[in-house]
Order: sequence, then C-alpha cells, then structure tokens
Amino acid sequence: MSHARKRPGTRFAVGVASAAVLAGTLAACGTDTDSTALTWYIGPDGAPAKEKIAEACSTDDYTIQTELLPTGATDQRTQLARRLAADDPSMDLIDIDPVFVPEFASAGWLLDIPDEYAERAVDDDVLDGPASSVKWEDEVVAFPQWANTQVLWYRPSLAEKAGLSEADMEKVTWDQVIDAAADNGGTVGVQANKYEGYMVWINALIQGAGGSIVEDTEAGTDAKVTIDSDAGKQAAAVIAKLAASPAAQPDLSISNEGTSLGQMFPQGGAGEFMVNWTFAYANYRDTVGAEGGPPDEATFKDDFAWARYPRTNPETESTPPIGGFDIGIGAFTDEPDAALKAAGCLTGTDAQVTLALEAGLMPARTSAYQDPKLVEAFPPDLLALYQDSIDDAGLRPASAYYSKISGAVQSTWHAPDTVDPDKTPEESATFLEDVLEGKSLL
Amino acid sequence: MGNKGLQKFGLAAGIALILVWCLLPVVWIISLSFKSSASITNGSPGFFPRDFAGWENYQAVWDNEQFRRAIFNSIGISLIATVLSVILATLAAYAIARLEFRGKKLVLSVALAIAMFPVVSLVGPLFDMWRAVGLYDTWLGLIIPYMSFTLPLAIWTLSAFFREIPWELEQAAQVDGATSWQAFRKVIVPLAAPGVFTAAILTFFFAWNDFVFGISLTSTEAARPIPASLSFFVGSDPFNRPVSLIAAGAVIATIPIVIIVLLFQRKIVAGLTSGAVKG
Amino acid sequence: MTTATVGRRRREGAQLSERARAEDSLGRKLVAPAVVLMLLVTAFPIVRALYLSLFNYSLTAPDDRAFVGIANYVTALTDPLFWRATAVTVGIMIITVAVELVVGFVFAMVMHRVIFARGIVRTSILIPYGIITVISGFAWQFAFSSTNGFINGWLPGVDDGFNWFGQFGSAVSAIMISEIWKTTPFMSLLLLAGLAQVSEDMLEAAKVDGATWWQRLYKVILPNMRAAIMVAVLFRALDAYRIFDNIFVMTAGAVNTESISFLTYRQVIEQFQLGMGSALSVLLFLSVLLVAFILVKAFKVDLAQARQG
Repeated sequence: MSHARKRPGTRFAVGVASAAVLAGTLAACGTDTDSTALTWYIGPDGAPAKEKIAEACSTDDYTIQTELLPTGATDQRTQLARRLAADDPSMDLIDIDPVFVPEFASAGWLLDIPDEYAERAVDDDVLDGPASSVKWEDEVVAFPQWANTQVLWYRPSLAEKAGLSEADMEKVTWDQVIDAAADNGGTVGVQANKYEGYMVWINALIQGAGGSIVEDTEAGTDAKVTIDSDAGKQAAAVIAKLAASPAAQPDLSISNEGTSLGQMFPQGGAGEFMVNWTFAYANYRDTVGAEGGPPDEATFKDDFAWARYPRTNPETESTPPIGGFDIGIGAFTDEPDAALKAAGCLTGTDAQVTLALEAGLMPARTSAYQDPKLVEAFPPDLLALYQDSIDDAGLRPASAYYSKISGAVQSTWHAPDTVDPDKTPEESATFLEDVLEGKSLL
Repeated sequence: MGNKGLQKFGLAAGIALILVWCLLPVVWIISLSFKSSASITNGSPGFFPRDFAGWENYQAVWDNEQFRRAIFNSIGISLIATVLSVILATLAAYAIARLEFRGKKLVLSVALAIAMFPVVSLVGPLFDMWRAVGLYDTWLGLIIPYMSFTLPLAIWTLSAFFREIPWELEQAAQVDGATSWQAFRKVIVPLAAPGVFTAAILTFFFAWNDFVFGISLTSTEAARPIPASLSFFVGSDPFNRPVSLIAAGAVIATIPIVIIVLLFQRKIVAGLTSGAVKG
Repeated sequence: MTTATVGRRRREGAQLSERARAEDSLGRKLVAPAVVLMLLVTAFPIVRALYLSLFNYSLTAPDDRAFVGIANYVTALTDPLFWRATAVTVGIMIITVAVELVVGFVFAMVMHRVIFARGIVRTSILIPYGIITVISGFAWQFAFSSTNGFINGWLPGVDDGFNWFGQFGSAVSAIMISEIWKTTPFMSLLLLAGLAQVSEDMLEAAKVDGATWWQRLYKVILPNMRAAIMVAVLFRALDAYRIFDNIFVMTAGAVNTESISFLTYRQVIEQFQLGMGSALSVLLFLSVLLVAFILVKAFKVDLAQARQG
C-alpha cells in the first residue's frame, strides 16, 4: 500500500506535464523553421482563391498560412475577438468585416499602420466606400481587400410582364418591385433572418429614404439614435409590405444570401427580383443547366439582368449596401514588419483581380476593374454598376458598439411580418438607447 | 392463453418501438450523408436520397483538414482527460469505499454539486483565466475542465463498484502466502478492473460529447474538438450549410461511440445504473 | 458524526485509534487531488464571476471598466429578456422530463421483460445516449427542414413548405424532440435499475390476490421504484434546465427560443460583456441551486444517501 500513498500527487503532476508537453509539441509542429510563418485568418468567401493568393504573396522571408474563419459575420467577429482578447501573437493577418473595424480598433486589437503603408493602403486607386471603411478616428487601421455591394438581380421577362422597362429598372422603387412580383407570379428575394444580413437591408432602406439609424457614432454609447424618423417609417413600410405580400418567399423570416438563389429560375413560376451581393453573377454563370441554375446559356444571357439597388423613396437615389473585407494586422503579432509587407501584397491589384476572377469577390481598387482579364470575364455594364454602387454606397454605422446597435435593431425588427411602420421604429429607438446605456439585455 | 399472446405481442411492439425510436434518426443522418451536395443546395426533401452520392461526402469531409484535426483533437483530449480523471477518481473512490475519514460526506456533496453545476456559468470566468495563463485554445485548457466535470460521475460509479468487491479476499490471499502487492494485483485488480473500465467509458462519452467548453475555450484547430468543429463547419458555398457534409462528419464522429457501445453495452448499462440501484 | 466515530474508535483502544488516524490521513490524501481539481474549475471561477459581476466590464472596451455595484443584477432581474429565457427554460424542463419519464418507463418495462434480442435492444438504446448532443441537434434540425428533411412529408396535415423554425411553438417543439430523443435512454436505464428492485414475489402475491395490471402498477411497482424515479427525475431535470447544445445548433436562440444558459453564453462569449455576463452566470448558478432545492424538498429524498447507497 505504500505505493498508493505516494502516488496521487506525482501521478497527477506527471499526467499534467505530459499532457502539456503533448499540447506544446502539437502547437509547434505547424511552424516552419526556415522562414517566418505568418497566419492569415480568412473568411470562407473565396477561400481557395485566398489560399492561392497567400502562396503567391509568400516570399523567401515569410510564408503565409491560412486559417479558416466561420461563415457569418457575427461568428467571425466572435472567433477573432476571443483570440485577440487573449493577446494571441499568432494573429498576424486578419480578414475583418468592415463593420467591426471600429470596435477592434478602439479595443486596441489592431496594429497602427505606419504612414508609409497607410498611404499605399488607401491611395487614390481605392474606391471611396472601402477607403472610408478602414479608417477609425482619422487613422488608417486596415487594408481594403475587396469590396462587395448589392444590386438588384432580376428576370427581364418578369419585369416586362409588369410593364417595367430597362430604363424604369434603373430607378425602380421597392414598392414597384414588390407589386411587379406579386401581380405576375414572381417573388422578391431579400435577407431577413435575424442576422447581420437583415441589418444590411434595414440600413439600406433607411439610408435610401435619407435617414440613418444612429448619428454621432464616435461618441460611443452616447451616440444619437435617429431610427425613429420618417425614413425609419418608410423603411418599415417596405418590410411590412413585402411580408404581407404574396411576393414574399416562404422562408422570409429565415432567409439569407443563399436561400433565394434558387428562386430566380424555379421549376414553373416567373422567377424573382432579388437584392444580393456580387457573387450572384458568378453563381448563375456557373450553374447553367444545373438544378437551381438557369436552364440554358440563352436564358442566362437574355433573361437574367441587373440594376441598381431599389429606391426606398422615388425621389431619392438609392444608397446600395457595401460589404467586403479588410485585412487588419493583429496588435500582438510577433512579426509586424513582415505582416505589413504581406498585407500590402494580399490587397494589391493582382490579388484583387485573382479574387474577382476566381471567386466573384469584386475589387476595391479601380485599377483592378480595368484589368483585361476582368473586363473579359464580366459584362462591362455590370462592372460599371458595381463601381458606381461601391462609390455611392451607404455605410452601416461606424461605431465601436456596432454589434450592439446591429443586435438591437435585428431584435426589434425581426420577424419581418411583425414590423409595423407606426410602432417598430419607435420601439427600436427606445430599445437601442437602453441597450447602449446598458439598461437592457441584448 | 389469449392473455399470454397479447403480452407477447405487446412486448414485440415495445421492442419495435424502442428500435425505431433509437435508430430512426441514426439511419436518417446516414441517409442524409449520401445525398449529393448539389441536391442539398437546391432542396431535396425526403428520407432517402434521390440521387445517391456514394462516398463523395465522406471523401470531402475526410479531405478537410479542419475536420481531421478536430477528430484528432477530440480523440486526444478525450483520452487524456479520461485516463487522468479515472486515475484520480479511482484513488478517491477507494478511499470513499474502504476508509473512514473526516469529510467523506463533504467530498460526496461536492461531487454531487459539481455534477449539477451549470457549465455555462463557468465559461466566462474560465475564458478570462485561461487567456491570462495561456491555456486558451490548448488541449490542456479543455482537459482540465473535462476532468473536473467527469470526476463526480467516475467517483460515484467507482465507489459503487468498489463497495461490491469482497476485500476480505485480499487478506485471505495474504494468509495463503501472497505478498500484499501480489494479493492486490492478483485478487483486487481483476475485481476492480470492470468498474474502472466502466467509469472510463462514461468519462470518455462525456468528454466526447462536450460542446460548451469546446466552443468557448478554443478558437482554432489547435484544440477545437469535433462537436464545435461540426457546428462551425463551412462548405464550399458560404451561404448554405453543407448539410450532407455535416451529416457525413456526424456519422464519422459517431463511429467510435457505436464501436464502444457494441463492445461494452453490458458494462455501460451496469455503470449507468450502479449508483441509482441502491437508492 | 466525526466525533462519534472518533469516540467509538477511542473506546476500542489506543492502537486502533492510531490506525484510525492513519486511515483518516490516507483517506484525505487520496481524495485531495480529485477535490482540488473539481474546486479549481468550479469554486474559483464562480467566486471570480461574483466579483466581476459588480463591474461594467466589456472586453472590447477594457479601459472603461467601472464598479457599478449590483446594477447588473438589477438590470438582469428587471429585464423581460431574462424572464422570458427563464420561462422558456422551465417550460422545456417540465415538458421534456414529463415525456421522458413516461416513455422511459415504457422502455424500461419492455427491457425488463425482454428475453430474446436483449443485446440488440440494449445496444440500440445506448446509441442515443452516447451520440453527441450537437449531432442529435443537427439530425433533428435537418429532419424538420422544409428543404432537405422528411418530417413535413411524413406528417399528415403539415404543408411541405412548413418552416418549423419560423415561429416559437414549432421551433421549441423541435428542440424538445431532439432533447427527449437523446436523453430518454438514460432515463429508461435508471428506471430499469429501479424496476429490478421490485420483488417478483410481491407481484406474484398481488396477482394471486386478484389485483389487475393497473393496480399492480400503482400499488406495487411504482411505490417500490420511488427512489429510482426520483433520482432519474432530479438528474434529468437539472440537466434539462441547463439546455444549451440543442438550442445553439437548431435555432441559435431565434424566435425567442433562448434558454437561460444560452442567454448567459451570448452575453459572455459573443458580446464580451464580462460584467453583465458574470451577473447572469451567478443568477444561473443560483437558479440551478433553487431548482435542485425545490426538487429535493418536493421528493423528500436525501440525494447523497441515494447515490451513496
């Protein structure tokens, strides 16, 4: 029995020690000893293309490895923020959704970008939308990587039935779109699940009516809540109208960017008007003949078109949503110099052209749009529409408390069929104020 | 006679009910794993796949490095946690079953309290502690909480088993001329082994199943276990969950459980019920 | 209790007393590592949560950390979201445990009587028990899905396009079905153990006295299984109260299906509100204690005794 008496402590210690050693060696085996390894945390959009870019941007001094982030913007933020809060030195290069740039920057999680790099990151070549998304308190804190925007994708045959000409489509309103679909057996595709995509829609509707959700966002929790306005009511009216219309898709309350893709060329039915990101073009181009895609090449060519994001208000030019990704550099990286150099390459024109060609993720740089390969791959009017949309885009509130703002709006505006123009904007204003002040749980 | 026949029929119906209840969702997830990803994207309702995808989904999941690493993490973390937890539990259970000491009741109460502990209420402070001491996103950072939360179950199961062991045999063997070590090894170990083994299986199940710690205390493949990895699984289409791939991954992650159940069903049942029987 | 033992030992002589002391010391040494580890991961963090809960502290704005006293608790306890989550949790707990108890009892009866195919029945009943909860959640979520599932097609009177996760009632039902499927086997095994304790002689005697099947069930079987039923209910109820995995996977808290555990998780891990999140952690901990207390009082059962045997 004397064995047993001494064992507990030592056995435990040995066990823990061996576990620690094991964990340590596992962590270490990923690193290459010859050159510095940089880790690039990539969003899943266009991951294979990004891996190629990472390889192309690796040099003799450093190798860029990729690490995949989860799908949704909210999940990505959670994953990144947890690592950054843990002062993780392996966070070298990070794909960040532009809406979280202010939050990360104000938490001190992003490396300050030295002027020489900052100037190149947002030089004149970069479109206005993405350029402003990487600034926080007048400092450049990230590199614009690619820019996304939403346009209205539709079936000309459906628009024609409703008497909407191509010229009409250029300044079409949400009212017109919903009526056109409802009266002609079509549907309207939007993103209205309780997630960031719904916030994108609400924000675009409100800005399209000349309003905003919050103002004075640099004041943090003291920002001025402006959602309870005429613009807010007009936005709510659009959502309520669609939710009550036969044009609404059955999964409206859980719809996302993927759910309405299949409704464009349904088996029987007139198709849809769909607001969606730029990837939709490549999606249909690549699914001709496949289930859910255009039945044949001719249909794709002749009965699939695009127009600027619909107007909330007939008199006011729409403000299309902007998305995309920026690349930030983790504040705790061991290799700031290499990471800065790498970020320049990863967001350069060549990289942006690759992303656009291989993944349909559109460039943030004007020069990339002029690349012959891109001009060949996309219809010229589509490229022009993208650039206009990105330039005129309406940003979502740039606040360090963005996730609270977005969460509060989503929770009062979801589900779409409960939206009431007379109540919802007012309720969401009160709730948003309470949430910002920490008086309400979110 | 009629009554007997009725009883037999009822029993057969009962067995059928149990089998359908237990196996239908399992068959479903297997069936789902054979639906092609294209048909999933476009919607393919129904129990059985309309176009059989073959091993395509399994191949894709297995080729996914994140998934392979998650399987590796889960196996490694669960095994280490199991071994360490069972060692500590064996010591404690031996003391509880065989020795009189002050605070015995307290130990049992602590174990009981921990078995009921709301795990979620710990992840915040644990996350904060782990990031401070560098255990965040490491194997050890999961092994420690897994051990703490499996110890109660292991201690109960083991002390129930140990109480059943006729310890007098040890003395009898010593009287017959065996040394105390021989007596322990030849007599006690074979008697205690099934209990230890059962505790190990139950502990392994817990660690394999855990989700809350798995998602809260990890953020990369360095330590992310299977359940967390499945819930974050991203396919080639960023907007649609790769349902059939997740199903294939789920089937792969269930294989170890099925093997353990097939081999050791008797022991698991004994272990699960040992504590409660005496009540 | 301790003094009584020591007193008894003392009367039995000095030599024994010394042995008792050695035994006492060995016993404590043997349990020490397990106890220390269990407390390290529970007691210490919960104390820390208690401390953090008094601050307004967000990880994304660490410099703004400020002492706010019990303000977080006041906010939580006056917030409709907190009470809604609590109500959802309690509702899920009561319904799932009730269904599991009935179905689990039927399963236990069958397993108790079954002679042929014993191994197959036992193996299949252990599969839901052993399967990962997340996988159960996925399996049922996909089964209920209108695009790729089969349940809409199988259920009469349900439209093929019906979206189970679009509204509270059907979404929470789907969650509960996954929960019940996965945990009924555990319940039935505990009940099976209790069933084995019911003496066949007593049942035979009741039969001879002319008792019907129902009378035997109510008068003989159930009273004799009381302890097993209580242990099973208590453990399952506390487990159900902590429901998290299924909700995370199946609805992520949408359409008001958020449980108290999920709410806490979101505050801490998704919103990085360590202050408010800690306050919710403490409230969750206290509410589990309260539920345990109510159940133990209601059953008048000494749980430690029941497990200890």
